[in-house]
Amino acid sequence: MFKKIIVPLIFLFFFWFIIANEDAKTIIAGIAIFLIGMHYMENGFKLFSGGALETALERFTSTTPKAIGTGFLATAVVQSSSLVSVIVISFLSAELIGLTQAVGIVFGSNIGTTATAWLISSFGLKIKIAQYALPMLIFGVVMQFSKQGSYKGFGSILIGLGFIFLGIAYMKEGFETLKNGMDLAEYAMQGYLGVFIYILFGAIATVVIQSSSATMAIIITALATGQIDYINALSLAIGANVGTTVTAVIGALASNRNGKRLAVAHFIFNIVTGLIAVVFIYQLKDLVDLLAPMFSISETDNAMKLALFHTIFNVVGVLVVSPFIKQLVRYLKTLFHVEVEARGKAKYLTDEVMELPATALAALRKETIHLYDKSLEAIVHAMNLHRSAIFSDTEINEVVERSVALIEIDIDKIYQQDIKNLYSEIIHYSSISQTYMGLEGNNKIHELKLTARTIIEMVKDVRELQKNLNLYADCNNNFMIDTYNEMRAQLIIVLRKIQEIREYEGDEEDILTKIEVQKEKVNDNEVMMNQKIDAMIRENEINPTMASSLINDVGFAHSICKKFLRSAATLWVKEEEIKQLGDEYEY
Amino acid sequence: MNINKVMHKLDDYFDLSKKKQKEKRDKLLKIIGKLEEKKVELKAEMILESEKDDTSEAFYDLDKELKVISKLLKKAKQNNAPEENE
Repeated sequence: MFKKIIVPLIFLFFFWFIIANEDAKTIIAGIAIFLIGMHYMENGFKLFSGGALETALERFTSTTPKAIGTGFLATAVVQSSSLVSVIVISFLSAELIGLTQAVGIVFGSNIGTTATAWLISSFGLKIKIAQYALPMLIFGVVMQFSKQGSYKGFGSILIGLGFIFLGIAYMKEGFETLKNGMDLAEYAMQGYLGVFIYILFGAIATVVIQSSSATMAIIITALATGQIDYINALSLAIGANVGTTVTAVIGALASNRNGKRLAVAHFIFNIVTGLIAVVFIYQLKDLVDLLAPMFSISETDNAMKLALFHTIFNVVGVLVVSPFIKQLVRYLKTLFHVEVEARGKAKYLTDEVMELPATALAALRKETIHLYDKSLEAIVHAMNLHRSAIFSDTEINEVVERSVALIEIDIDKIYQQDIKNLYSEIIHYSSISQTYMGLEGNNKIHELKLTARTIIEMVKDVRELQKNLNLYADCNNNFMIDTYNEMRAQLIIVLRKIQEIREYEGDEEDILTKIEVQKEKVNDNEVMMNQKIDAMIRENEINPTMASSLINDVGFAHSICKKFLRSAATLWVKEEEIKQLGDEYEY
Repeated sequence: MNINKVMHKLDDYFDLSKKKQKEKRDKLLKIIGKLEEKKVELKAEMILESEKDDTSEAFYDLDKELKVISKLLKKAKQNNAPEENE
């Protein structure tokens, strides 16, 4: 009913309103152009920064002040708090940063977003920016023809800026001509009633337009053309800040638990900041008047004073809320509880993470390590070994001799329920992320996909090995028992070496050397074991059936060892130049 | 000058591949340096070990490591060769 009748009616009314009202048409067109500009800017920065923005947000957030500073700078530069939020949510999901750092970035981002008001009130209104908008659009479009991602991105930023400038010019023109027919300033309201009503207007406008920057642009241009009263403009700015939380909450509804937690943090911050601003609006106004000369803002320049007010009340908000960041994070962690890890479900892969190449790569690597650990557990259990014993200080022979009891494990079931599902998720998300990546990123994803395949092949290999291992475990032939124990010992040697590599903090050349040396040793061991089997056949120590089983299983056991080492080279040697020196580098 | 030429020149200006190639070459040279250093150390250790017992497990391990290092070094030099010829 609503969709079929009300929505078309609203659209019809809106259409009539625009056609009938020339000035409103210009203002609304200005808002629409401004929003297109914001969209281009956001996409342009994604391409242009080439991961630099993500790197900055990941690296420079070790303490809360650093996180706030980084959030502020990143948002001020890219002019988009929503882009910064998207990156932060994907970082959280991939566990590249913690919730405390993420909340710090969001706080800083709130101050950074006030840069838009400065941009509009200074460049936007002081100079005839429409003159600069057109060359920007022309050069921006020309740059779109480039094959280079960063160059294309720069083009998009220019187009974005061009549209933003053009949008502001239209809004300004619309308000100026509107003034000739109708003076909105007549509706100015003084006192706290006016403050509350205008806060409501600001909030509603932001919810409808879905952008506090666009609302600020309207407020500043309206204020500069004298269409609204200064104190009402301050209230509208507070309303825009409150309204943006509704936008964030709506956006977070479809997000994962990290997105929801951040939206709650954002909501709390903006409501507290809004409350402070409302209570102390007149004192803050006086503070702006006091500070304005320090920023070379003239007494009559209300637009720039509004920008200063916008920054001040957000800074005050950060100063008031940030001492409680630990308590806030503790509270946020009680919300949207972590679902119990479902069998075969990915831990780090979500749609949000896949949108950013840097996080997608990090998350896919972590998920492949998750697959590796799950498979390792299944493989060692299938070989009647326990991880606690394997990774202990006990001598290898002793571990093997003690691990005689059969471990009841249905490797087929584990493969189908856990490992295959996880593998499918890795493949699914890898394919999604590859659409967002350049050649280099695509190669790395391909490499991880092949590693995941190598890992599941090990599980398939151990299915065959397990049957004979259990069959001959309690036979009377000691030669058979000893040979299977040798295979198990070889696996322990390899797994201990890989564990040592995982914990190693030295040069990556050393890691690759260790892996390659171990591979050589596994090859030697395979040759030696096959020679032993030949000797056993010649000496009639094993029958032909046993011999064929052993020859196959030695192949499987060594294939598993080599695949473990090959996977380790991809997962724990990160530098591409070093990885390429390895034997298995065929990707 | 047609638009394609202009675009090509602009692409060259913004091209980061040369910078990346240089970074890669520098990294490879660093790796080669480290591996060569390691090779010299290993050779010296092997001489000492062979004087004690050249059938020992320690000698076998050193021998394996030396072979691997030599292989990695050869490959690193090969990977660096195309850039050297430029």
